[in-house]
Amino acid sequence: MSEAQAKSPYQSPDPERWLDDHGDYLFKYAVFRLRDDIVAEDAVQETFLAALKAYESFEGRGSERTWLVGILKHKIIDHFRRVGREAPIGEEPDEGPEHREFFKRPDEWQGHWNNDYAPNDWHATPAELMERSDFWKVFNDCLSPLPKRTVSAFTLREVEGLKSEEICEILSIKVNNLWVMLHRARLHLRNCLEVNWFKREQ
Amino acid sequence: MALKLSDKLKHAVRFRLLRTLPTCQQTVETISQSMERPLTVGERIKLKIHLWICVWCQWYMEHLHLIRDTSRAHAAQISEPMTSATLSNEARERIRRRLTNQE
Repeated sequence: MSEAQAKSPYQSPDPERWLDDHGDYLFKYAVFRLRDDIVAEDAVQETFLAALKAYESFEGRGSERTWLVGILKHKIIDHFRRVGREAPIGEEPDEGPEHREFFKRPDEWQGHWNNDYAPNDWHATPAELMERSDFWKVFNDCLSPLPKRTVSAFTLREVEGLKSEEICEILSIKVNNLWVMLHRARLHLRNCLEVNWFKREQ
Repeated sequence: MALKLSDKLKHAVRFRLLRTLPTCQQTVETISQSMERPLTVGERIKLKIHLWICVWCQWYMEHLHLIRDTSRAHAAQISEPMTSATLSNEARERIRRRLTNQE
């Protein structure tokens, strides 16, 4: 140990300072992706513990925060892997709301938008939406009734921007199932945001 | 008030197209697929024509992209004020204890 310590001034890790300097940042990062305080806290703790063990591989190269975020990313993926494994046996991987009523019509236009559910103009841009913390609250509430695996697939795709193959591997699903899940999540979320956010904003 | 002949014609064309092309229900599925893989030429043409006559599906597509862009932009700069989320004092203490026991 003393030999290693002599090598660089960074050799002795200071986890308490990490917690003060990066704890909130890592928590924000995690909770946006995991949507659950407890799960996010665990991921942050796991990250610090793993960082302590792997400290020698860091050795002060690059920014401490970037290094910690790199570890946290792996912890978050691990969480999604568990969701993929733990989904109850027999549960269809592509389950979730169908929302057939969106396209039910009394007239001969069956299969086209029902007037009550048809999209409206949102008049919104990412820049203005991002800054509204109440928008993210509605966003999360809209995702919460969906099956866990569906939300995981949606997050990995639309938030993390992972490729289909990567997501299928993490969640142990086939690509067709992934596409069905994403479609249902989008159909549900879009409508939920319109009803609970955009109609109220205007 | 009688419609102008050109308007009548436009209506007739739209009507025929909506009748023969995939429905909105099928189109929103194609829109979602278009965000995952390149569409075939046939799919692309049908989608283009459908969007040309259906503002609802146009908005639908716009919204899906807005949701994606907003989520990714937000994820990219998570430290911005958007979330007031911070570690609770309990969690902070718990992690601190766990880390110091570790040493």
